[in-house]
Amino acid sequence: MKKNTAKVAAMILAAAMVCGACGGGAADKGGAADTTAAAQDTQKAQDPQGAQDGAPETETEKAEGAGEEKAKPAEKIKVGITVPYSGFVANLGENAVNGALLGIKMEGREEDMELLIEDTKCEAELAVTKCSKLKEQDGCLFIMGSVTGFEGDAQADWLKKNSDVIFLPSYSATQDMTMRDFSPNMIRAGWTADQVMFNFGEYIAKEVGYKKIISIGADYSYPWGQAAGFARGFMENGGEEIKYIWYPEGNLDFSSIMTQVSSMAGDYDAVFLNDGGSPIVAFWKAWEQYGLNNKFGQIIGGTNVADTNVLSEVSDGFVGVLSASFYSDGDENAANQAFRKAFIDEYGYEPDAVAVQSYDTIRCIIRGLDAVGWDTSDQQAIIDAICALEVTDSPRGSFYFDEYHNAVQNVYVKEVVMTDEGTMANVIKKTYEDVSQFGPYEAYKEQYMQFAEDARDYPYTTKDAYMEDLRKVMGDEYVDALEADGGWKH
Amino acid sequence: MGGSSKRATLVKRAGLGLLAVALLVIPLFSSDFTMTMIIRYMYYGLLTISFGFLAGELGLFSLMTPVSLTLTGYTIGLCQTKFDIPFIPSIFLAFLVSMSFAALCGWMADRSQGVSFLMLTLVFSQLVYSLALQWTSMTNGTTGLLGIRFPDALEIFSENTKVNHYYWTLLIFGLTIFLVYRLITSSYGLRLRGIKNSETRMAALGYHTGLLKWSAFMVSSLISSIAGVLFVYNTGMINPEIMTLNSSNQALISSILGGVDSVLLGSIVGTVINRTLELTLGSLTRRYATIVGALFLAIILLMPEGLISIAKKLVYGKDGRPGRPVGGTVQGQSAEAGDGAGGTGAGLRCVTPGGSPEEALASGGPGDVVSSNDTEGTEEKGGKMRR
Repeated sequence: MKKNTAKVAAMILAAAMVCGACGGGAADKGGAADTTAAAQDTQKAQDPQGAQDGAPETETEKAEGAGEEKAKPAEKIKVGITVPYSGFVANLGENAVNGALLGIKMEGREEDMELLIEDTKCEAELAVTKCSKLKEQDGCLFIMGSVTGFEGDAQADWLKKNSDVIFLPSYSATQDMTMRDFSPNMIRAGWTADQVMFNFGEYIAKEVGYKKIISIGADYSYPWGQAAGFARGFMENGGEEIKYIWYPEGNLDFSSIMTQVSSMAGDYDAVFLNDGGSPIVAFWKAWEQYGLNNKFGQIIGGTNVADTNVLSEVSDGFVGVLSASFYSDGDENAANQAFRKAFIDEYGYEPDAVAVQSYDTIRCIIRGLDAVGWDTSDQQAIIDAICALEVTDSPRGSFYFDEYHNAVQNVYVKEVVMTDEGTMANVIKKTYEDVSQFGPYEAYKEQYMQFAEDARDYPYTTKDAYMEDLRKVMGDEYVDALEADGGWKH
Repeated sequence: MGGSSKRATLVKRAGLGLLAVALLVIPLFSSDFTMTMIIRYMYYGLLTISFGFLAGELGLFSLMTPVSLTLTGYTIGLCQTKFDIPFIPSIFLAFLVSMSFAALCGWMADRSQGVSFLMLTLVFSQLVYSLALQWTSMTNGTTGLLGIRFPDALEIFSENTKVNHYYWTLLIFGLTIFLVYRLITSSYGLRLRGIKNSETRMAALGYHTGLLKWSAFMVSSLISSIAGVLFVYNTGMINPEIMTLNSSNQALISSILGGVDSVLLGSIVGTVINRTLELTLGSLTRRYATIVGALFLAIILLMPEGLISIAKKLVYGKDGRPGRPVGGTVQGQSAEAGDGAGGTGAGLRCVTPGGSPEEALASGGPGDVVSSNDTEGTEEKGGKMRR
């Protein structure tokens, strides 16, 4: 009895080892299994060999009736996506995948494209290894990156050694990926952490009128970027001081921070919360438990603070939270309404900005391929085609790409309101149109890139230090004009 | 008896030889990804061996095996990205840093046993973890250090960077394995296993057990540091993720999957399986962690000696132990019972030059082991310890 079980276990393991150890053959089986995930109905009629060098040897055009002539690829285009399915942002990973799948479906390309999904476990080393796997084993030309900043940074570094793929981040928003560390084969149909925050900082300083802010955030590159963008907008438009409190990423215990913040009530106007996902929910619980909602005004939040998945978890006291993003779930344009309806019909829950980005990303890939007739032989032609796109039917409004391959788009200042159905949603308070990743520094790109990289203590947090640094980099003329105008001019 | 042992040795040597040849020629015909996977097995394999060396030889379960890896990695990374120090001094510096820290931790941790050792090592690893995470001006926080490049001077095996990385990794991995193997089969290894069986007896016999434990801790840290060098040059990055509790657990899981008492083979087999599942199952199903968990559970329940016990059965016959006839006619005298003839017989064989550590281990305790060439002391004391 015992011997038999041992034998069975041994056989299973042997099978597993064979699967993993031998390269190509077994892998394509894996790919084929993913096909079912991508396009449920299509059969796995896949040629098990011809992955890498893609000579069009198999059946090609079987023009699927339906009137319009669509260009067809010689064989299914493989798009890899690396997302965390476990770890503290697992829900974002799921949204990214669902957004991409919906994009393929809405464009009617289920038969021409398959999505290979890889779990990164929210570990940078694994995220990079999975990129290698997708490229070397599955022969993916397109790889969609991960959702967190640190995974994105690691993948961007990997990309420098692997110029034969086209890389599109899923939600990683580190600014330098498409700026100071620009790679010609990276395209980001998304956003940078700074990009969406410049104008929010301005809005808070000018229109809300706060002077002193406590910024509480997770201690890694993405929140640093958000804080940096916010600080620039805030300081240059009348803000006086920002006090930073950083906690380790994934932290769920906010009691010590609450005590600290509580002692600062009266000295500061508001708290700027700068993270996303489950820490927000934990923060909000502690915030109410410690009664800080009575000591401060309503919190203001970074891009992911008032996301739909957070709104469904927090108490009604969350109404009134201001945040800014490139996407607002309450946007009334037709494309957004259609997207939301399709997403909810398909997956049964509300999409968020992550889903929007991967939805747009996959559609950019499809339209870029449309432009080159689904011919994947010329990588540069595809990159050029994608970067020349102007997408006008995105749920976020419309966007196009700048010369560093990052999206130029509207930035929305949003407010959480209670809807008639008794659920919370975001409405747009103010729209800043066509904001690039350089934001208000569009005319000063070279100078802007002279600034030190965003860090946990940079840009400087007091008005004097900030202005001094600004004067050093941007020049007296800029600062004098700024002071004369009392802030940015639009 | 002799026949079965000869056959076993032959099978093992042939197996090892084939494996070595296969590893050497793989780059000639395999895909890049196969090399990526094997390189990954090698650095994680060393990490598991670092864990397994303490667990298997000394019976101490350490949760800080990735600490030396991380310290080495960070030192090399900082030397290259921040201070522009050439690679040879930076590697020396890296070993200096990680081994000094290990020396200190070992000195404290070795004064404890069992659970308290586990907790102490957890504390040390969290210490370094927090440092790596929060000293952001130096370590860059969660993002860690990126863009660490393989030294150009070492591009000697092949024009292809991957092939070159592969051979370097294989070379260092092979050397480390060989050294660990020699250590385990030496009288030093015997003393460690003596401590594992009964520390008080070893102390009573006059061995400086504290020093022995500390030195084993240092060996384990050294292996982990070597893994760190391989890790950082192959992945080009180092971040706090590699030394979270989860990372220590992966080493533990790999070690137990393969067989904790089999320091080399078990660790490698366990790592290969664990990391293969991570890469292949992960693309097939979202529930692969569940599968790995179930597998882990099954192995603990059904094969407490780990997967390596299957291999042993194949090599040594049904009972999976060396030193007994295949037919099993002298079952009564088994080494397992730890008495008389069977034990001695097994002991004699297990120190045959070239005998594997598995053989030595499987033969029972130190009581069975008679040292062949050096230290009659061990022989004598080992013999006494049985009584």
